[in-house]
Amino acid sequence: MSPTRLYRTILIALPLLHFLLHVGFGIGRGAPDLLAVGLLLLARELRMGPAAGVGFVLGLLEDSFSLLAFGANTLTCTLLGIVGSRSRELFVGETLLFLISYLFFGTWLRSVLHWVLAGEEVRRDAGVTLLVHAPVDAAYAAGVGVALLLATGAWRRDPSS
Amino acid sequence: MPPFEPEPFEPRRRGDLVVTLFFLLLAGVLIVLPPEVQEQVAGGLRATVLSPFLLLQESLIETRVRVSEVSELQRRLNAATAALAAQSTLRQENTHLRRLLELRDRAGPGFRSASVLRPGLRGSESMFLLDVGSRDGVAVNDPVVSDGGLVGVIREVGRGTSVAMDWTHPDFRVSVMTLDGEAFGLIEPRQGAFREEDRLLLNGVPYYTSLERGTAVVTSGQGSVYPRGILVGTVDELAETEAGWRRGYWIVPAVRPAAVSHVLVMTEAERSEEHPLEELWLDSLPTAPEGPETLQEIEVLPGEGRVPEVDPDAHGPAGGPGDEDPIAAGEDPTLPDGDWEMEP
Repeated sequence: MSPTRLYRTILIALPLLHFLLHVGFGIGRGAPDLLAVGLLLLARELRMGPAAGVGFVLGLLEDSFSLLAFGANTLTCTLLGIVGSRSRELFVGETLLFLISYLFFGTWLRSVLHWVLAGEEVRRDAGVTLLVHAPVDAAYAAGVGVALLLATGAWRRDPSS
Repeated sequence: MPPFEPEPFEPRRRGDLVVTLFFLLLAGVLIVLPPEVQEQVAGGLRATVLSPFLLLQESLIETRVRVSEVSELQRRLNAATAALAAQSTLRQENTHLRRLLELRDRAGPGFRSASVLRPGLRGSESMFLLDVGSRDGVAVNDPVVSDGGLVGVIREVGRGTSVAMDWTHPDFRVSVMTLDGEAFGLIEPRQGAFREEDRLLLNGVPYYTSLERGTAVVTSGQGSVYPRGILVGTVDELAETEAGWRRGYWIVPAVRPAAVSHVLVMTEAERSEEHPLEELWLDSLPTAPEGPETLQEIEVLPGEGRVPEVDPDAHGPAGGPGDEDPIAAGEDPTLPDGDWEMEP
């Protein structure tokens, strides 16, 4: 399998792995947010419309477990897909540092968007949620995502070469 | 990552923009849909696309339960063997083993035991899935309890699974009373900075009714959801007062939902039973009042004008060595020993 195909296969597998860990194995918050990682990486491979569609579907799947703020994940992931797709025009993104930063800030942005869209009734303290929980979750997700891509050999500076 | 590919020409971008706006609009519509429709969409997804993950979780839980049951059986066998070997300590062993029997053994057949699954996904913080459903007799609004007390209530029911919310959910409300029937009020959750800091607020207590710290609070039975007598928590401290007409108290929850892995669902069959539910949680209560111990006794007191003679040695909730066990002795545990006499 070529690096590019392997890379794309892993991108599709990441959301499946996310639900397998969170729902199938019941690990809950102990498992990283691989849905955000998968969506962020997949969005850079797609045009804006399809990226929004992928975000919509993945967010809707996660919302099926949400009693508190149904729809917040869907809109969050749709926006994240759009942002991820548009980020190609701002960053070429061939370095490892970019990959780590992109995944970290993307996952953190997801937490921020979800916090904003979840509604006042559900929101917890902004400082704790956005400056403590969200960065830790983002670092965890980015770390696991990058490690997975490096370990499988799916990510290289130029996978097509 | 693959090399950057510039967007080729303008019409394609315009189509892209339309598709993007479509999905954004659709996502926005989802948020404002009525809750019933939202639950239908969510339930449909759980029953179809996500069902393999849920089935996997169910099978894992079943395996885990079987392993723990084998351990429990082994433990009971060891305890029984030890008890037989030492007949003189049989009573103490019996008491000890009875404590090991969880709420399920004390509760009636209308309780359905279930394993708890918490997806841990965003927005699912106050909900959990149970591996029982309509085929087990579970219905919407059935209370969910554990050996500590009230955990939450069933919100959606599938054939083999159901969705419940715990008391940390912002919509959670329950009408409660103190065990002695002195004060009634409505309990609602209050979020802390961290989930571990979530607690309950007892609202609507009359201003001139003062509650002691540690006073047990149970469901009052008002409303159609929670039957009377489920332990909800204990009074912690005064939270707020509204000049001259009401007080609010912080309540220490009887159960921390995050720590619960197995629960019991109280089905309609159980709720229609007449036996006092607070008996099930007597061991969890923090104090052993010298007055009446059950709601049945409380109800008798004012109307009948009688006071019971309570022998604390015979009915201490801890049931220490040498205590008579009313259930084992075939007695009615809700009634104290001794004669009842007329109040002068």
